[in-house]
Amino acid sequence: MSVVVRAACAVRTRRVPVAAVLGVLGVLVVAAGLAGLVAGRALGAPEVWEVLSGGGDARARHVVLQLRLPRALVAPVAGAALGLAGTVLQSALRNPLAGPEVTGVTPGAVLGAVAATGLGLAGWEHPAAVVAAAAAGGFAGAGLLWLLAGRDQGDPARAAVYGVLASAVLSGLTAVVLLVAPGELGSVVQWLVGSTEGRVWAHWNLLWPWTLVWAVLAWLLAGPLTLLRCGQEQAAAAGLATGRARAAALVCAVALTAGAVPAVGALGFVGLLVPHLAFAVLGAELRTALPGAALLGATVVGWADAVAQWLSRALAALTATDRLVVPAGALTTGCGALLLLVVARRSGGADR
Amino acid sequence: MTTAETGVRAGGGAATGAVRPGGIRVEGLRFGYPGREVLRGVDLAVAGGELVALVGLNGCGKSTLLRLCAGLLRPAAGRVLLDGAVVAGLSRRATARRIALLHQSAPAVPGMTVRQIVRQGRYAVRGPLGMLRDGEDPVCARAMADAGVAEWADRPVEALSGGERQRVRLAMALAQDTRALLLDEPTTYLDPRHQLEVMATVVRLRAERGLTVVMVLHDIGQAARFADRIVALRDGVVVADGAPEAVVTPGLLADALGVAGRVGRDPEGGWPVCYLDHPLPEGKPIEK
Repeated sequence: MSVVVRAACAVRTRRVPVAAVLGVLGVLVVAAGLAGLVAGRALGAPEVWEVLSGGGDARARHVVLQLRLPRALVAPVAGAALGLAGTVLQSALRNPLAGPEVTGVTPGAVLGAVAATGLGLAGWEHPAAVVAAAAAGGFAGAGLLWLLAGRDQGDPARAAVYGVLASAVLSGLTAVVLLVAPGELGSVVQWLVGSTEGRVWAHWNLLWPWTLVWAVLAWLLAGPLTLLRCGQEQAAAAGLATGRARAAALVCAVALTAGAVPAVGALGFVGLLVPHLAFAVLGAELRTALPGAALLGATVVGWADAVAQWLSRALAALTATDRLVVPAGALTTGCGALLLLVVARRSGGADR
Repeated sequence: MTTAETGVRAGGGAATGAVRPGGIRVEGLRFGYPGREVLRGVDLAVAGGELVALVGLNGCGKSTLLRLCAGLLRPAAGRVLLDGAVVAGLSRRATARRIALLHQSAPAVPGMTVRQIVRQGRYAVRGPLGMLRDGEDPVCARAMADAGVAEWADRPVEALSGGERQRVRLAMALAQDTRALLLDEPTTYLDPRHQLEVMATVVRLRAERGLTVVMVLHDIGQAARFADRIVALRDGVVVADGAPEAVVTPGLLADALGVAGRVGRDPEGGWPVCYLDHPLPEGKPIEK
């Protein structure tokens, strides 16, 4: 552990170039994608390689090109979007406990997606409509928090409490929608837990341009966001129109989340904890921390997807049934809860 | 005393071409929160290159006046002019290129080095896209040297003491490269040695760069010693305005600070020295 801390310090004081760190993270993302490609149940690494080099039978080609490849691409990009959204939110709100999951953004986006699907306005065959509904829901969730928190937004602990309240209300509404319109319950539940199962090219085709656009916009906000981390008063005195900068940042964060939720659902803790990793490794300057958060988010979700597939395969072999599938969201939530304990202890110590 | 300083004192803010840049002019300024009027018509002219100390009791409107000058609050009536431009008509960035404000206190930013914090002061000049570019900035290097923080440039800010952090924030304000600098109680949380260090830095910067400095001070002795002019506020109005030798009197101590006291002269420097005694109006001196 101390080695990691020392390495992080070395990066922060620029003794290790940032480019090297980002390069290492990039390699980890690619490795996660490759691991995801070969981790599934039906095919092993040699068959996957055969298909990728142009061979393989029809079934293998279908599995690799139509099922595994889009999944291996969607998982890291959605992770990058969630990592970016969390980093932008924590900086804009100056709250280390902020994240799309706990500010009403993700629950709102899930509610939007579930409601649109439940009402028959959107479905798996119309991913664009789901994204639009998720974005509307995400903005509604953020708006709900805004209304609840009112003038208390400066206090991180109170804002976090209101965020939990808003998230609970939205999750309750989602449950109501599910009870009223249980038609597509099976596919909809994936959004609640967060899963990378069954992603298809339609998801990818929508996800990557949407994420790319908002990621670039988020990076262009790196200067104002870094200033906001210094405190609102300081930022204003240094020449930042803080209200406008915050609003732009929140739009970015909601849009990034709304793009990721229809693709992978509410992957627990990714948006809340990836920023902490990014700041620890790359320092608090957002022009380096944001690319780091994107790559770390991609790494985390990419590996969560690969490990989830491995676990599913192992479980299937153990129990001799095909029905047990470990969702990636269960993994991120489980590991995230542990990491959150570490973060809570550390930030509690630093504040006092 | 240099000729520049005496010239400034006589100059009082006349808008001629010979006036040095960095002048601040406050005209009929009023500001309040619901149910409480903080400033009730303040007029003040600070010439370019002048060092003015604002004194007064807590809550008399000193900090509010600084914030209004920096354009962080909107006046209910009246206006603030920086080098003749009305602050309310300037963008946030344009204002921050003319005037920098060091707040009384600020949260520490975890994960940032001194160099990174100071660099944030360049936002007003560089803009959001300019902040994305890497590379050494000579203004930052100068600001760090001026504030005496260059040797800690690569240290994380969390690792510094309160006095050191104060100097880092001063460096961040200096990195804005403005002609006017507002300091809100820059010495309040510091021990005497660090207080004098900050004051010496401010006096030196004013002499070398011709900065206009307006600082809120609670220590009337420091105000009398270092400032060209003392402006005293009480209940949102100016009750005294002039050179320390002229305005620091027992009457001012009673009026603006609510304490009785005597005023002497420093045997070597000749500036006014205050011996503060008991609070008014209960009366009796505090016996040992």
